[in-house]
Amino acid sequence: MSRVLVVDDDPSLRRALRIGLSARGYDVVLARTGEEGVAQVALAQPDVVVLDLGLTDMDGIEVCHRVREFSDVPVVVLSAAGAEERKVAALDGGADDYVTKPFGMAELEARLRVALRHAKSPNGAQPSEVVVGELVVDLVHHEASMDGRPLELTAREFEFLAYLARHAGKVCTHHMILKEVWGPAYGSETHYLRVYAHRLRQKLGDEDGHLLRTHPGIGYQLVAS
Amino acid sequence: MSSFGRGLRGSVVALGTVGALCALMLPFRSHLSVATTALVLVVPVVLAVAAGGFRAGALAVAAGFLADDLLFIPPYGRLSVGNAQNWTALAVYVVVMLVAARVVARVDAARAEARRREVQTRHLFDLSDVLIGVTPLADLLGRIVFTMQRAFSLRSAALLLPTGDEVRVAAEAGTPLSPDELRAVSPSGGERRSVVPMSGRRAVPGGEMMVVPLVSSGRPLGLLVAAGGPLDVHDQELLRTYANQAALALERSQLREQALRTALLEEVDRWRGALMGAVSHDLRTPLAAVKAAVSDLRRHDVALSPDDVDELLELIEVQSDRLARLVANLLDMTRIQAGALELHPEPTALSELVEEGLGALGAELERGRVKTNFVGDLPLLDVDHLLVAQVLANLLENAHRHAPEGTVIEVQARRAGQVVEVAVEDHGPGVPEEERERVFQMFNRISGGGRAGLGLTIAKAFVEAHGQEIHAEEAPGGGARFVFTLPVAQVPTEIA
Repeated sequence: MSRVLVVDDDPSLRRALRIGLSARGYDVVLARTGEEGVAQVALAQPDVVVLDLGLTDMDGIEVCHRVREFSDVPVVVLSAAGAEERKVAALDGGADDYVTKPFGMAELEARLRVALRHAKSPNGAQPSEVVVGELVVDLVHHEASMDGRPLELTAREFEFLAYLARHAGKVCTHHMILKEVWGPAYGSETHYLRVYAHRLRQKLGDEDGHLLRTHPGIGYQLVAS
Repeated sequence: MSSFGRGLRGSVVALGTVGALCALMLPFRSHLSVATTALVLVVPVVLAVAAGGFRAGALAVAAGFLADDLLFIPPYGRLSVGNAQNWTALAVYVVVMLVAARVVARVDAARAEARRREVQTRHLFDLSDVLIGVTPLADLLGRIVFTMQRAFSLRSAALLLPTGDEVRVAAEAGTPLSPDELRAVSPSGGERRSVVPMSGRRAVPGGEMMVVPLVSSGRPLGLLVAAGGPLDVHDQELLRTYANQAALALERSQLREQALRTALLEEVDRWRGALMGAVSHDLRTPLAAVKAAVSDLRRHDVALSPDDVDELLELIEVQSDRLARLVANLLDMTRIQAGALELHPEPTALSELVEEGLGALGAELERGRVKTNFVGDLPLLDVDHLLVAQVLANLLENAHRHAPEGTVIEVQARRAGQVVEVAVEDHGPGVPEEERERVFQMFNRISGGGRAGLGLTIAKAFVEAHGQEIHAEEAPGGGARFVFTLPVAQVPTEIA
């Protein structure tokens, strides 16, 4: 049974999440404030955290930073519609995914499952190979294959794919990808990403974007459907 | 002082001193020589010139001549004089005195002129002080015309500014300009007229009137009108300098007001954005809970116990009430801001108001949590029950939201003279002392990314609409205590 920590200052949403997630077989731990949330990450050792960005005592993004100082636990943030900058800031600050309020429980649970599936191995070792569904990315030999069929990728395309694969399940922001793949001088050239994502999808046979998902205005995510 | 008054004073001095000196000398006239009396009669001339200028001096000379001739040169009482030598003395007296009077009058006039210039210069300096200091536009306009009217001893001074298509008097000092004078400056009043054609720097006919345009950076700002003052060439120069200074100040002040207005608009915009953010947060939070709960209830593959179903349904009801109240609060806030708050007070019992307030909260607040503690028999209150019920609902909701579950919220009341003091007390974290004023402000908790906190703002507005007060303090034993007063109803004696 996976343990989920819910950090939300609204009692009613806390209750709805507790009932809904418990009924789906999660062990639910509740925290009312950011302070309490950070403490519960250490004490309750949850497998995944649901964090509302609109806390009253502390900015949710600050909570992300504090959690990341000592834990790799996947964090799914809850955020209001339209607050794209806040989502990006949270993702840059270490959150793995986001759900826009108001949301259905099924949607939240799907995100939790993705986060749990791609959670890093606890020992923190760098894997030499990442498998995302039918996609296999060999990080050591710089090779990738789809359905056992080797992919012809340029160096930059591979770097892009490898970066997303290393963070599979996590929504990577434009900024993060550009900085890591193109270099520290980059950060706002999102049109590069659109071009590369398009080419990658063609080579992956993923024109619908089920595997390499686009989050408009935010970033990209590699996820096994 | 007017020149007429000055002349009159000079004449009085001239005749008075001549008379007085003659009266003094008369008893000894047989012992006095012509030279002595003529010399003594120099005094009135000098005094008269000093007091009244050359004309008064000339009058003194004439009076001195006649007095000397008639009273002191034999034969007394007749114009004829004894010998030619006396004629010479009198002639010398008249000529020398007239010349002396002329010289003294010139010196005097020069000194007066210098004094006037000094006053004008000082006014100019005063004005530059005003111009440098931070002055609101309206004050500045007033200061410009006031200083101008005083410095140039004008009957009226006016400053005209373009308003829409017209040029209108924005400030004046002294006697207001007559309609004729106004027409001369800005023909037919409301007719469309640019300021530029008036910029010919010359006196406009129609009385002693001078119109100087205020121009800064090549842009016409307005007109200065000086009327009813003797403006010589020097004055006109000075007036132009003055106008230039005034134009600079005017432009500076207008720019400053513009900058302030822009800053204000930006501020309003920022707050509007913040309010929108906070309100949408407050609206979304209950919606998120409702949607989460409903999405669970509709799923048949999720194993919910009957208790879970009950809890989710209750949650949906409570959150719907919360949303309804939030919308009501927003409408109230709009009414308050539009100034459309109408009071319909009638004698009401506090217990009814508390009941009404709890009713407004609906399922949001369990009744058992609220205790009432009223001291003695409370009189009826003279209040608008809708507004005060809303005040109580908002305060109770605030307490409910901030105090930990299971703690009691108490509504207390006691009579204090012509008012009843009502308090809503909780045992939550309380309000820090430095926050107790701010907690009622509309945007109070926005910066923290939290609630709009409209409830307390509305409570304060509604209490104040009754002419009463509300404040926050610390509850005994910790927690928040919101105290407000309500007026006691004056029950007619025949009922009482």
